[in-house]
Amino acid sequence: MKPNSRYILASLAAAALFSSCEQVISPRLQQANPVVVVDAWINNQQETQKIYLYESQPYFDNSTPQPLTGASVLVVNQTQSKTYTFSEAPGGAYLWTPAVADELGVAGDQFSLAIQYGGQTFSSVSRMGRVPAIDSITFKKDKRIGTGTEIFLGEFWATDPVGGGDTYWIRTTKNGTLLNKPSELVLAYDAGFSAGSLTDGVTFISPIRTGINPNETAQNGKEPPSPYTPGDSVHVRIYSITLAAFNFLTEVSTQTNRPGGFAELFSTPLANVSTNITTSGNQSGAVGFFNVSAVSQRGQKFVPKP
Amino acid sequence: MQRILLLLLTVLPLIARAQEKHTVSGYIKDRSNGEALIGATVYIQSLGTGTISNEYGFYSLTLPAGTYQLSYAYLGYKTQSVALDFTKNTRLDLELEPESSQLQEVVVTGEAEQPAAQTNEMSTSKLDIRTIMKVPAFLGEVDVLRSLQLLPGVSTVGEGASGFNVRGGSVGQNLILLDEAPVYNSSHLFGFFSVFNPDAVKDTKLYKGAVPSRYGGRLASLLDVRMKEGNSKKTEVTGGIGTIFSRLVVEGPIKKDKASFIVAARRSYVDILARPFVPLLKEGGALNFYDLTLKTNYNINARNKVYLSGYFGRDNFLFDKSQGFSWGNATSSLRWNHLFNDRLFSNATLVYSKYDYKLQFGNDDKNRFNWNSSITNFIFKPDFSYFINRTNELNFGGEIIYYTFEPANAYGITNGKKVDISLPRKYNLESSLYAGNSLKLSPALSIDYGVRYSHFNYLGPGTEYFYNDTVPGIRKSVTGSKTYTSGQTIKTYDNFQPRFSFKAQLSEFTSVKGSYNRMVQYLHLISNTTASNPLDVWTPSTRNIRPELGDQYTLGYFRSAGTGQQYEFSAEAYLRYTQNQIDYIDGADLLINRFLEGDLLSGKGRAYGMEFYAQKKTGRLNGWVSYTLGRTELKVDGINKGDWYPTRYNQTHNLKIAAFYELNNRWSVSGNFIFTSGTPTTFPTSRFYQQGILIPYNANESRNNVTLPAYHRLDISFRLEGKTMRKGKERRNHDYWVFSIYNLYARKNPFSIYFSQKDDRISTDTQATQLSIIGTMVPSVSYNFKF
Repeated sequence: MKPNSRYILASLAAAALFSSCEQVISPRLQQANPVVVVDAWINNQQETQKIYLYESQPYFDNSTPQPLTGASVLVVNQTQSKTYTFSEAPGGAYLWTPAVADELGVAGDQFSLAIQYGGQTFSSVSRMGRVPAIDSITFKKDKRIGTGTEIFLGEFWATDPVGGGDTYWIRTTKNGTLLNKPSELVLAYDAGFSAGSLTDGVTFISPIRTGINPNETAQNGKEPPSPYTPGDSVHVRIYSITLAAFNFLTEVSTQTNRPGGFAELFSTPLANVSTNITTSGNQSGAVGFFNVSAVSQRGQKFVPKP
Repeated sequence: MQRILLLLLTVLPLIARAQEKHTVSGYIKDRSNGEALIGATVYIQSLGTGTISNEYGFYSLTLPAGTYQLSYAYLGYKTQSVALDFTKNTRLDLELEPESSQLQEVVVTGEAEQPAAQTNEMSTSKLDIRTIMKVPAFLGEVDVLRSLQLLPGVSTVGEGASGFNVRGGSVGQNLILLDEAPVYNSSHLFGFFSVFNPDAVKDTKLYKGAVPSRYGGRLASLLDVRMKEGNSKKTEVTGGIGTIFSRLVVEGPIKKDKASFIVAARRSYVDILARPFVPLLKEGGALNFYDLTLKTNYNINARNKVYLSGYFGRDNFLFDKSQGFSWGNATSSLRWNHLFNDRLFSNATLVYSKYDYKLQFGNDDKNRFNWNSSITNFIFKPDFSYFINRTNELNFGGEIIYYTFEPANAYGITNGKKVDISLPRKYNLESSLYAGNSLKLSPALSIDYGVRYSHFNYLGPGTEYFYNDTVPGIRKSVTGSKTYTSGQTIKTYDNFQPRFSFKAQLSEFTSVKGSYNRMVQYLHLISNTTASNPLDVWTPSTRNIRPELGDQYTLGYFRSAGTGQQYEFSAEAYLRYTQNQIDYIDGADLLINRFLEGDLLSGKGRAYGMEFYAQKKTGRLNGWVSYTLGRTELKVDGINKGDWYPTRYNQTHNLKIAAFYELNNRWSVSGNFIFTSGTPTTFPTSRFYQQGILIPYNANESRNNVTLPAYHRLDISFRLEGKTMRKGKERRNHDYWVFSIYNLYARKNPFSIYFSQKDDRISTDTQATQLSIIGTMVPSVSYNFKF
């Protein structure tokens, strides 16, 4: 297992002696034409599967992105030769709701995506990977680094199956809120952070197991609350993702998780994240990703031991 | 190579033959403390010629028989004249007396120092430690590397960034030598302070171009830091109490005029002061940095001298007893000066140098992570200077460096199961031979030419990997590998590095100089972050990482004027082409990656610019103005659509002014002003959602497409000398206070502008944030003493 460099550098930054100074500014940006955005992360669960199609927007445009309407969206399970037609809903969403006892497929199945829009075809492929069960979720007392305040940390327990190269996205919901900040993006390559970790077939490493804790920042100089307190409920899902999706999300994390401060000394240049959407025709390409996941999940209410 | 050397050795003495000649040679030292004076001049007015002392204070001058008046001079010292009858070879060791007064205005002497217009050197910057001591310093801590940044052609990517950039080169393209031992990380606390204890430094010299053949190994520059030898006359204690460090130096004779020593120590003490208030420190955490510098020398006899120097420094950042990281350098060098005769000076150096870092996470035995990494060198370097006559000097020698790279000695324990993720060590041998000749062809024309040949050997045991060809910018995959046993050669590289420079003396105080040189770099600093950080990895050249090559051309105009040539002016143009420059794929994984090479990209670079420098060397008001106009760019397949792009440390304008003024006997004031263009950065054009996260997107796929706002800053410091008399008697102790303010007008200089979504879980807003590392003025005070 190998430390995530960002994790190290952020702690480096925290240890620095001086306080830096930040201000929000509004620089002028170059103009650019919008491109097609495909946001297609679907899974094998008995729930409505959603694919979103939008246009990209100027960076400082904080409005809702322009939806792409009138597209045809097909997902094919090539292994089982089944076709799923996603139907249009408002806001650029295209939905498919499985009937009872129906699902997109099983681990190992190969999928393709085909979108027809504005005379262009956008296509992609994905493979559903396997996913380990979550054995338990526990809570432990700990001390916050830097202040020594007593806090409760949540931790999930699962073991990566034997056979290298499994990649996962761990997503957590605390009291009904999805922990979806860029700093809360938790990825795993086998049981560690990356291929070099050589962590095949073992329990997920500690920073991943505790990756289910919300990352709250200090407000008005006040220390953030304990990640969990008695009575909280937590729901953890492990999504299997393809290696390409793992690389994509790693890039997303690099580009979006900007804690600022001294960590900026060690930031990497802004660069475009990758995509697995290919475009036919000679129009400009699309951005975004298509991935089909298998999911394992577990919920837990924090009831302290008497 | 041998043939060239042989040719040089046989042809050159022929040029040197002539009528009967005699030699005067010896060491030039400081009378007050016995320290050798580097670069002191020996000048013969009647011949309009002379020489300068080398890094050990040695000089040798061969002249036709006759009687001459020799002037020995060094800035800040009284010039001594000696009438000498050249009828036989003479050994003349000389001690120069420092000017007694603090006031620089009395320093104006006949010919204080050889003006830059008269030396053969160009593209070098020398910073005397006495000057460094006067520069207003961040938090009052005098710093060698920060002072260097006030010179032309030297820049930094921002405050707190470690290292420095020379003429558009990267931080990893500077070779930093401390008493000839390479220092791989020159910073304490990231980049806020440098590892050199100013109290133990004698002299620093930066070669930005026209590098003599005796040096090699990096593309952009060579910084030669020389430590003091220690007072050989009397025991002295100097020290200081500052805002960050406290310093103490003890030096003195072991045997008068025969052997001396110096021990210098520094430690930061913020953690000690803060311990009662900061829980982290009470819980066993640590936050400190320290260094220890030692040197001793022994004067065996008139022909032999040995020096032993050592450095040990460390930064510790521990969150608690078992978590955190630390890094540091350790170096030692043993040197032996030997005079074969009064014209052949030699020095043999043995060096050990190690840089390492350690990292530990996890506070229980069932879940933890440990990582050690290091780079170790053993170096042997014999060097010979043959002073054939006053117009002809030959320098030759060799260098053997044995490197051991330990990229990762690491393991993790998860839920009680231990996984070893260490990467194999890499072994390399770099051997070089060099020869250079300084020749004065006529009173108006001098040339320096030479060649350095280097051979790099990547040795087994080890595994070399083969990678597929893919679209540039995408991670390359391994297609095969080959394993080698101990001692087998995995890959070799050979390079000839020609060096040439000339000086055309237009008048006594005006000259034009030019140079061409090729440099080769076999070691690469792997770093894709804005500033380099202590965990950055040095990696050697392999089949997939080719040695970096640089060709630099320079042309300069030099002039001095005024009483005692106290004004100097220079203008230099430089142009450098580089090959095999490293860049990184997006999302590159640089730490503990066995297949790191698959994430690297290779391209070429170019850097060009003009440097202007004007200095007033003496007088009550002295100082300099330095201005650089420059550009540095890379062209790498897979970045910026394969077009040229400016590097992150590109700066168009770079202006610095340093001024020192003596108010009266006790008060002096110094100030420096810096104005630089903003460095380039990349802005997005657009954004898009992916699973609720807002991702920045640059529709033009450009790199470094905008520049940050300009940087400017004024620092000022006042120095108050302690009273020299007390109750009518002279005080034995000497002391002074320094009061300084960094960033006097509290400008919030931008270090970076970054783009992020607001810190919400369901975010619709994106914003740009401008970060200033030091956005306020920083006052400080320090007290320094000597007794």
